[in-house]
Amino acid sequence: MKTLQRADGGWGIASMDAESGWMTAWAVWALADRDMAAAQRGAEWLLATAGLRVTDATQVEGVKKVLRIDATITGWPWQPGDAAWIFPSALALLALHAAQIRQHPRVQEGIQYLLDRAIPEGGWNIGNPFMVTGHLPPTVESTALALLALRAFGVENEITQRAARWLAQENFTPTAHEWTWRALYGQKVGAPRERARGALQTLQRADGSLDGNVFTTALGVMALDL
Amino acid sequence: MTRKISRRAALRLGLGAGILAGGAIVYRETQAVGFDKWARWALRGQATRFSAASRVALAAADSYDAELVTAVDALWRAAEGPNLQNARVVVKPNLVDYIPGRPCFTAPQVTEALIRFLRDTARVKKIIVAEGMTFRRDPHAILIETGYREMLERQRVEFVDLNYDDLVKIPLRGGYTKMDALFMARTVTEADALISVPKLKTHHWTQISASIKNLFGIVPGIKYGFPKNTLHMQGINAFLAELLDSLPTPRRFALVDGIVGLQGDGPLFGAPVASGVLLGGQDFLAVDATAARLMGLEPQALEILTFMAWAGLGHLDENKIALRGAALSELRRTFEPAPQF
Repeated sequence: MKTLQRADGGWGIASMDAESGWMTAWAVWALADRDMAAAQRGAEWLLATAGLRVTDATQVEGVKKVLRIDATITGWPWQPGDAAWIFPSALALLALHAAQIRQHPRVQEGIQYLLDRAIPEGGWNIGNPFMVTGHLPPTVESTALALLALRAFGVENEITQRAARWLAQENFTPTAHEWTWRALYGQKVGAPRERARGALQTLQRADGSLDGNVFTTALGVMALDL
Repeated sequence: MTRKISRRAALRLGLGAGILAGGAIVYRETQAVGFDKWARWALRGQATRFSAASRVALAAADSYDAELVTAVDALWRAAEGPNLQNARVVVKPNLVDYIPGRPCFTAPQVTEALIRFLRDTARVKKIIVAEGMTFRRDPHAILIETGYREMLERQRVEFVDLNYDDLVKIPLRGGYTKMDALFMARTVTEADALISVPKLKTHHWTQISASIKNLFGIVPGIKYGFPKNTLHMQGINAFLAELLDSLPTPRRFALVDGIVGLQGDGPLFGAPVASGVLLGGQDFLAVDATAARLMGLEPQALEILTFMAWAGLGHLDENKIALRGAALSELRRTFEPAPQF
């Protein structure tokens, strides 16, 4: 990890990637209790990086109509130059929290960003709650990670309560990915782990992985010490 | 003493000034991309106009319960699909998401018919069904909800999640965007052939979504995020032109599922339309132009297509597309257009 840290303090997705991006937040989160100096340099990169922000009043109104968001508030992008999205924003907040950065204006704006993009019925889609003519449905990874980020900063309100209720409902397609995210959030709020553990052990492949996917498997290990 | 210039000299001066002024305008208008690139695209576009017509085949198919393998076979032959014997083939359906009541994804019956044709008739070496979903990161939920998992298990075909595949950095040939290279899934770069199997639909950003827009799914979310918006920031049309121009697979084919299309607010929230058609061909631009005509849209009015045609990435004009199979006039349905804003 330390070898792959780039001169600007961030991380790309691999050594072949010459651009820092959303992986920086994972790296900061992972290194915060082992190498705070490296984590701080990563955190500085995060603080200097923001999603696109719309300031022109006409454009702000236009975006509000089409996406139902306040485009003057931004979070973090997957890559510099992009708009902000729920997953990298929540992840950046968790990383900054781990790096002991908790009062910075960017942190406060990130929290506002998550609250603004919540779906009225509960949870988060990947970015905006609405697109052109339709309400977007919540996704498990966005909702679980946004809840974890807001919880880390002590934010609890109707928005988080509605999202938590959506996450707790049983009407979902029972894949390893879905169970893993629910278990990851459940672990933080002290929910019983037996059902998730049983489901994930059933879904675990002979090679030990979940779905043959490194990402889902790592999350499963984090959530349940599989 | 006043010297009069002759009429011939005046004409020469006027002509010279006109050429200089025209050159200055072209230079100014092309400064954003560079004159050399602009000239390369324009020259290739002109050269393409003199190339042979592209074949696109149409087949009527009223239902997903129809004998689709026979229809795919006939369509492939009529469109002169490439020889894929012993080839490693990536089949790329559009699995953008599953929303009940919204036919936003390629029906598994069409992909299954293609798999059976490729295995039994085209005698390919290996088939991989692959997709990099744009919104939800969990392909397994979408595979279950759309009926793909059951179909893939029945056909014993591997699925690869292109969002998490090993990455290869490929050079971009076109220069239409500010990017000079793109990360792409190794499964695609190592394939001998790519078959784009999109759903026929309208789209609120590009007006039409067919074989070219479907290529968006081959770039990895692990690098570009979800919904890969970094690439939209390059300009959707420019980026799609780049993707089409830089495809690393030497052989390709498009098979469009228009049996039930999606009209109105695509790519997700549109309504079903019984359009009853399959179409296919090797020239993705010609296939998409024909798809537009089937939907009652004028291809020359669709920027996503006209730019690519101007740059010589395929044929758009009716007289350069050799239609085969069923008659377009009998299959045309007027789709409700995507909302504009």
